[in-house]
Amino acid sequence: MACSNNRADSRPRVVIVGLASCFGCQLQITNDEAHLLDVLGQLDLRYWQLASSAPEPEGDVDVVVIEGAVTTEESRRCVEKWRERANTLIAVGACAVTGGIPGMAAKDLDPRFGKVYEDGVPEACGQTCSPCSVSSVVKVDFEVRSCPIDTADFIRVLERALYGSNQLVLSDTMCGSCKRNESGCFWRQGKQCLGLVTLAGCGAKCVNLGRECNGCRGLSPHANLNAARAMVAAMGMSVSDFDDSLELFNQTSPMLQEGE
Amino acid sequence: MATTTLSMHHIARVEGHGNVHVSIEDGVVRDVRMNIVEPARLFESMVAGRSFDKVSYIASRICGICSSSHVVTDLMAIEDAFGVEVSPRTRMLRELLVYGSYLQNHASHLFVFAAPDFVGEESLFPVAEKDPDLFQGGLGIKALGNELCTKVGGRSIHPITAVVGGFTHEMTSAEYLELADKLAAARPFVEHVVDVFAGFSVPDIASAGDFLALHEDGHYAVASGRPCFAKDGLAFDVRDYRDHIEEYTVEHSAAYFSRRRDTGETFAASALARINLSWNELTREARLAAAKAGLRPPALNPYDNNVAQAVELVDVCVRCEAMLRELAEMQGSSEPVAFEPKAGRGVAMTEAPRGTLVHDLEFDEEGRVTKANIITPTVHNLSDTEKNVRQVAELLTAQGADEATLRLEIEKLVRAYDPCLSCSVH
Repeated sequence: MACSNNRADSRPRVVIVGLASCFGCQLQITNDEAHLLDVLGQLDLRYWQLASSAPEPEGDVDVVVIEGAVTTEESRRCVEKWRERANTLIAVGACAVTGGIPGMAAKDLDPRFGKVYEDGVPEACGQTCSPCSVSSVVKVDFEVRSCPIDTADFIRVLERALYGSNQLVLSDTMCGSCKRNESGCFWRQGKQCLGLVTLAGCGAKCVNLGRECNGCRGLSPHANLNAARAMVAAMGMSVSDFDDSLELFNQTSPMLQEGE
Repeated sequence: MATTTLSMHHIARVEGHGNVHVSIEDGVVRDVRMNIVEPARLFESMVAGRSFDKVSYIASRICGICSSSHVVTDLMAIEDAFGVEVSPRTRMLRELLVYGSYLQNHASHLFVFAAPDFVGEESLFPVAEKDPDLFQGGLGIKALGNELCTKVGGRSIHPITAVVGGFTHEMTSAEYLELADKLAAARPFVEHVVDVFAGFSVPDIASAGDFLALHEDGHYAVASGRPCFAKDGLAFDVRDYRDHIEEYTVEHSAAYFSRRRDTGETFAASALARINLSWNELTREARLAAAKAGLRPPALNPYDNNVAQAVELVDVCVRCEAMLRELAEMQGSSEPVAFEPKAGRGVAMTEAPRGTLVHDLEFDEEGRVTKANIITPTVHNLSDTEKNVRQVAELLTAQGADEATLRLEIEKLVRAYDPCLSCSVH
């Protein structure tokens, strides 16, 4: 890994940092094997614990890529530190963007520790805080959504961060994707599908493979949750099941809190 | 008094966050700690109260790299609780999904995490120039694993299509055959990988700990069989794992540790454990590659888990090629079978790439989880890692090794276990 401090190297200085997560989005970054060197070769990749034992560098960087949710005071400070030191911050994956699956624990956090550690919480757990997204702690410049991220999507966002782009950010819900794909609708089969309120952009990957959307891209800003609940009830389905499903990736979303 | 304290902070090239502390006083190793500081995401509490159809989707997120194994194990536990019998085709597809993650995991571990230590680099990237064939070949195996997982599960990680009772989507016969050809073509390279890793020199130590893996006569057990300890051959039923495996906490780790309940002994769960337990069930090609590399049971050097993973790459290429050709011809369906949720407990164990994985779920009559317990391979391995780090530190200290050598060999050993710290804390 290129770690020289010689700024004759004109490539953008990049660090990749992992917080509470499954590390899957960092793996996805490596999962375009055919183009890995073409992409990483454009970067002065200064720190990436997953792939290199090069120590964390001092000083400013151009881009920090952050995966994972904030769940401890240490990770909160880590995010704040990199926000100060980086010109551009890219949040990757549902955990960093919406709080994701770790965010589910935000509801009634304290008793959860007792359930998992019946004999007492080990010191090594550190100073825990309520799980939340990176964007709820600091300003995020770019985000790559989904659980896990799509590798090509990551490369597109990275390009946009480094070189600029006039592409608009999507804001509509997934239902439009299924219409275009002519893939039918789970709601008509009596199955709840979160595409109804979830931000589009993955092409309805799960629905295309016969699985309902679980909402990993987070809520669309256009989602009307109360109208969705009314529709669920009118179709004779359980509104509390719908709300349970929303918690998977949106537990800490202000939109969900407002609805309560 | 001469005191050396080695602190390897945020050990690199492993998944997750952990430190290794070793203190040596006057040549005597006083203390070894695997200080696991990975944030607790509290999965067992998150699946509690959730409907069965969400559980595998959530549990998959414990680990990116072995997400296939978490999903398959979770589905098997749910089916155990509800009394669901799946088709032979579904069982075979699940094994393929697990094997896809073996290719991903072993290639990532061997090339991205482990190899840089042996060629004196901080990362894999310089290897691209030094040994382009090894670099491209290694990434090729990782890509093949991704393709296998994507074709079976719908995505390289966090599979979409695997659900309770079966699969929601399957590839075509032509795609099965095309993948089979790709696995056949990969075999010469993976045989070479066994030789490459067998050629790296490692400290000569023998673990005093035991080994645990699933075992089934005549079939290399990854999603079937009974758990078995290597030393005394003690085998037990999956449902009785608590009688034989004790989970306990230590202050210096957010991950649980585990040990044999009867003897208090540490054990390793890993590719090396599987090869020790299921040597006769390996394909002939894999046994040959292993024997040529000097690896045969009882293989007790924990560093040899690297070679064992390479041997499994050979096994997976041969085995999955045959499975894919069979699936292209085989009649039968993987469509999800009908079932009704019911109250009760379901337990399943599989061999994840890094070792034995346990999912234990209890349900109410509506099929909502009331209690969950998950034990990941790294939880099994942490106490054994501490024990063998101590052994290698003692050996090298006695040989008068300098601090840099000690650090490198300790890090190599920790990485040889292929720890997944995010899995271990979950």
